[in-house]
Amino acid sequence: MTPAIEVHHLTRRFGDFTAVDDVSFEVGAGEIFGYLGANGAGKSTTIRMLCGLLKPTGGSARVAGFDVDKEPERVKAGIGYMSQKFSLYLDLSVRANLEFFASAYGAHGRELETRIGEMVERMQLGAVQDEVTGALPGGMQQRIALASAVLHRPRIVFLDEPTAGVDPVQRRSFWELIRDLASRGTTVFVTTHYMDEAENCARIGIMVDGKLVALDTPEGLKRTHAPGRVLEVRGPRLAPALDSLRGMAGVLDVSRFGSGATVRVDPERLPAESLAEWLRARGVDPLEMEDSAPTLDDVFLALTARAQRGED
Amino acid sequence: MHPLVVQYRAVVVKEVRQTARDRRVMALITLAPLVQLFMLGFAVNFDVRHVPTVVVDRDKTAESRDYARSQLAGDTLDLKAEVSDELAAEEALERGEASVALIFPRDFQKDLLRGHGAQVQALVDGSDPTRSSVAANAVAQYAVLKAMQLARAQAQAQGETPPRSPVELVPRVLYNPELSTSVYVVPGIAAMLLLIVTTVIMAMGLSRERETGTLEQLQVTPLRPGILMAGKVTPFLLIGLVDVGLALSVGAWVFKVPLRGSLTLVAVATLFYLLSTLGVGLLIATVSRTQQQAFVGGFLFVLPAVLLSGVMSPIRAMPGWLAWLTYLNPVRYYVEVLRGVLLKEAGLPDLWRQVLALAVFGALMMAVASRRFHKTSA
Repeated sequence: MTPAIEVHHLTRRFGDFTAVDDVSFEVGAGEIFGYLGANGAGKSTTIRMLCGLLKPTGGSARVAGFDVDKEPERVKAGIGYMSQKFSLYLDLSVRANLEFFASAYGAHGRELETRIGEMVERMQLGAVQDEVTGALPGGMQQRIALASAVLHRPRIVFLDEPTAGVDPVQRRSFWELIRDLASRGTTVFVTTHYMDEAENCARIGIMVDGKLVALDTPEGLKRTHAPGRVLEVRGPRLAPALDSLRGMAGVLDVSRFGSGATVRVDPERLPAESLAEWLRARGVDPLEMEDSAPTLDDVFLALTARAQRGED
Repeated sequence: MHPLVVQYRAVVVKEVRQTARDRRVMALITLAPLVQLFMLGFAVNFDVRHVPTVVVDRDKTAESRDYARSQLAGDTLDLKAEVSDELAAEEALERGEASVALIFPRDFQKDLLRGHGAQVQALVDGSDPTRSSVAANAVAQYAVLKAMQLARAQAQAQGETPPRSPVELVPRVLYNPELSTSVYVVPGIAAMLLLIVTTVIMAMGLSRERETGTLEQLQVTPLRPGILMAGKVTPFLLIGLVDVGLALSVGAWVFKVPLRGSLTLVAVATLFYLLSTLGVGLLIATVSRTQQQAFVGGFLFVLPAVLLSGVMSPIRAMPGWLAWLTYLNPVRYYVEVLRGVLLKEAGLPDLWRQVLALAVFGALMMAVASRRFHKTSA
């Protein structure tokens, strides 16, 4: 089966600034593909090129079987797109929005009714369909935006930070909808900067300064980029101790959060007990230490730190 | 149904729903033009009447009083006050209390009866050229009339046949016999209001979509720019037609503007005109990022378009290069069509150039707006 998305050396420059720099990857049909990166890393620019909104300056991309540069109109018919702005007509009713977007893709008559009816049920919008969209809470608008983006049953749906500004409970139920879409065979390409959300993705690409610096499953990323154990430490006089901890044999990464810090260690070279002893010796006493598995946060921090140091 | 028709209908329905829900826009496109037409129709008045006049009568005789009374009898000049001397008269003009001063010197009656070349001096405030030239005309006309009357009376008194004037002017004013300003100005105001409302609404409507992000959402659908533009314009074409109908009704009832020619021709010209103004609105939106910019852009177009259209001041009075610019202005052609059809019962044979110009302008604006829209989206 051909991949849903094929990207080869895709590049986009704005003047002297290279927003997307020689990016290549493939996304399989029915896959949930996460695209991670800080603000300005080139996530949105990539999505805009893949949706035919922006012309690439170099490289090529095929989406739903069509070249985004040469046949953008055919690409558009096969994809759905939802931006972080939930671009709906806030002054219209929910139903009017759904009707408009369905007809924009050419649906009419009985087919329009069926599709809207089906979507209203799946997204649980029955109770609000006659309400003015702008009067509804953010989580509801988010579901309406998703409904509008997939009404025409696209093969691929692009979600550009779809959960920005939505509370955690609604984020979780939104991800259920995304998994549901994927289980029906829709390819989902989603950008986010919530690392916990990214765990839901089958594979993840990480963008740093316009470059795709890593691409793997969440587990694979953690194995390669955040190996070892993560220890959360807390205690008095931690700050000066942390400074001398960096560069110690077996310490892979040190990052502070709040009053404590996470220390990632290579357990072969530095067992947790030795670290605890070392810290207590420097006055971090009483010491609290907790063992946890590396997360995508750790992967992301390691990758951005490496990029900042100028390594590759 | 063809997908293009489905898409077009979707945009039209959406625009109508949005417009109907927006009370401010509804007021802007229905009530505001009528109220403004009503007010401007009364306010814009070039008729010169009741010019305040002071009289300095140093003669104080039957003839001087009679002359002043007759001169002031019409409704062009009104007696404001009698003042004692020239100085007081000049002061009245300076303070703006009067615009004309009539000064009768001593011996006015004596000179008049002797046929000696009696003199009346008229001081006219020239700061408002239209007003002063009408006032000065009235003064001069009366002097000629009085001279003729005197000559005739003298001849009769001496038993001769009164001399006839070698040339007699018989003026007849066509189309607007009462020379009412409203009849001339109201069609122009209607064109102007239509221009302002449609250009600004269209420009702001599209840039609002850009601001809220729905435009981007539209750009990822297969909806083509041409269809989107056509769908956005359609409801406002109909609203504009209704507006013109309302404006003509108010014009006919309140300002006695005649409706002489073919209303179908007016409707066709209106459609082309609206295509131009709405097209300009869309074009402005393609170069604006925010609604505010679109609003300002709208006015940067509307203001010169009104001033260079012949609505407010005659194109003939403009310097050559400026008058040439008016050929690029759709408002000019539309006002010519309206005035021609309504006042002179002109038909397509007289006005086809203007109608053609409007059609070309309208098509061009829509095409350019669609093209620019396509470019900015890519």
